[in-house]
Amino acid sequence: MAAGERRASLALARRAAGPVLWLAGLFVPVLLGGSWVSIMAIFAIYAVVALSQDIVLGRAGMYDMGHAVPFGVGAYVTAILNTTFHWPILATWPVAIVVAAVIGAALAAPIVKLRGDYLLVATIGFNIIFVLAMGNDVLGLTGGPDGIFGVGVPHVLGRALSSQGALFYLDWLVLALVLLMMRNLERSRVGRVFRYLKEDELAATTLGVDARYYKILAFAIGAGLAGAAGTLFAVQLASVSPGSFVFTESVTLFAIVLVGGQASIPGVLLGTALMFVVPQVFRGLAQYRYFVFGIAMVLVMVLRPQGIWPRGRGRP
Amino acid sequence: MDVVLQQFINGVTVGGFYALIALGYTMVYGVLKLINFAHGDLSILAAFIGLTVLTSGIGGADAGALLVALAFVVAAALVGVAGFALELTAYRPLRKAHRLSAVVSALGASMLIENGIMLIWGPQVKVFPANLLPHISWSFGGASISFVQVLIIAGSLLLMAGLYFYVHHTRFGTAIRAAAIDQDAARLMGINVNRVIASVFVLGPALGAVGGLFIGLYYREAYFNMGWIYGLNAFIAAIIGGIGNIPGAMIGGLLLGLFNAFAAGYVSSSWQEAITFALLIAILLVRPTGILGERVADKI
Repeated sequence: MAAGERRASLALARRAAGPVLWLAGLFVPVLLGGSWVSIMAIFAIYAVVALSQDIVLGRAGMYDMGHAVPFGVGAYVTAILNTTFHWPILATWPVAIVVAAVIGAALAAPIVKLRGDYLLVATIGFNIIFVLAMGNDVLGLTGGPDGIFGVGVPHVLGRALSSQGALFYLDWLVLALVLLMMRNLERSRVGRVFRYLKEDELAATTLGVDARYYKILAFAIGAGLAGAAGTLFAVQLASVSPGSFVFTESVTLFAIVLVGGQASIPGVLLGTALMFVVPQVFRGLAQYRYFVFGIAMVLVMVLRPQGIWPRGRGRP
Repeated sequence: MDVVLQQFINGVTVGGFYALIALGYTMVYGVLKLINFAHGDLSILAAFIGLTVLTSGIGGADAGALLVALAFVVAAALVGVAGFALELTAYRPLRKAHRLSAVVSALGASMLIENGIMLIWGPQVKVFPANLLPHISWSFGGASISFVQVLIIAGSLLLMAGLYFYVHHTRFGTAIRAAAIDQDAARLMGINVNRVIASVFVLGPALGAVGGLFIGLYYREAYFNMGWIYGLNAFIAAIIGGIGNIPGAMIGGLLLGLFNAFAAGYVSSSWQEAITFALLIAILLVRPTGILGERVADKI
């Protein structure tokens, strides 16, 4: 009886932990202020990108090491539409999501048949080509190596979200929506198909799963979410440049999922915090940053090959 | 000047060091099915070690050829040791783990080496002095070939021939090939697979080290994070030839070098990397296992 009660209260605590942490995050601008507001805003944005990487890598099991591409596509779409064509930010958002998802699906379509490492290499290729295309000012719209400056701020009900605090609340809200979406995906038919494909593609296909369709779908969903984060990123920095979407960023996103724990929402959030927040705190040691990162990545993998916070066993 | 012949010579030179580095990728992949992302950085580490030896002034002003030979030996030895240490600490504990764990460990090792180079030698570009190698060049058929190009082409062909002989005509080479085909069966035949894997992690980086020092001597500069791009190119060369296949890596390296030289010469150098990767993706789509790779059904 007592044990059962304890188990029930533990389960309740576990379920409540996420929302409570999220609510606590709302007080960041009030209590901490200053640079913490933008650090947490950046965290929320990268958390969305990392979660979207997890859909492709951790849930559908495809080795995607070019996830900075859809993130960059979203950011560039917003920046171009806003600065060159003077669209309001919020109007560019759906376009950024759709364009990123379509490009993600179009790039994935020919390569999803590739296995494991070959897929990984092809996605690296897309990332390198994307960065060169942006840097070489393709179509004359992307501003070359310096990128695009002067991206505006979103307007909600006639009010400009121009302060860092206001932008933080927007990013934090989007993070909550994406987390809800991830939970629903986990419980949905599509989520189960992704997991099945990851575990045993052959068995899934014999049961009538259209592997190609669902793999492209995983890429499209992941890319669309990354594109949504791209818009927020362009607004947060008020600019975009190719340097933000280089191959190393894709490597970092890839590592976040593996270091945190594949298909584990707390793991991915923890990984994001380690890779993007911790370095901000220790800014003074900038030149040692990646050296320490390297050691940490090797150590975490050797000590915890499943990641720091692996997905619970027996979870649906 | 005959442009085609000149580009051919330049291409074979670049292909020489790509092939040397590609061998390390392909040997490790052949035995462990692991992309050793740290391999490019290990190779470039050799350029820095070699430069330190070359400019150390050991043996006085007229040590000449001996000093150059010493630089290659020291660089290859140290990088070979580094490769061994890497296998022992970062890869061996993960041999039974999920494949991606080893990939992330390799990525971490790459960051570690790259930034280790930066902490030791500094973030700025290191220039190789002009007087390290003789300034001789020969002209023929409207093109010219310099001393360093001859050194690179001859050196890489020699090493590749040596490796080919070692892997195909010695007892230990046979053990390497056996372990690449089936580790369990090799173990049952009395082969010490751990020793084979360790030796692959010494041989590959040592060959890559020679390639890395060639890169430094050829372009006469080295910077801490150049390992990524040369590593990626060499890795592409390994895939073009068929990853896991040693002659394939040699052919892939030479083909990629020639392709790069002609692409840069006739198209545009600012798109060079994009063209290389477009070629790679095209090859993966048409023939995913590379030119010499065998068709393996669904085992990757």
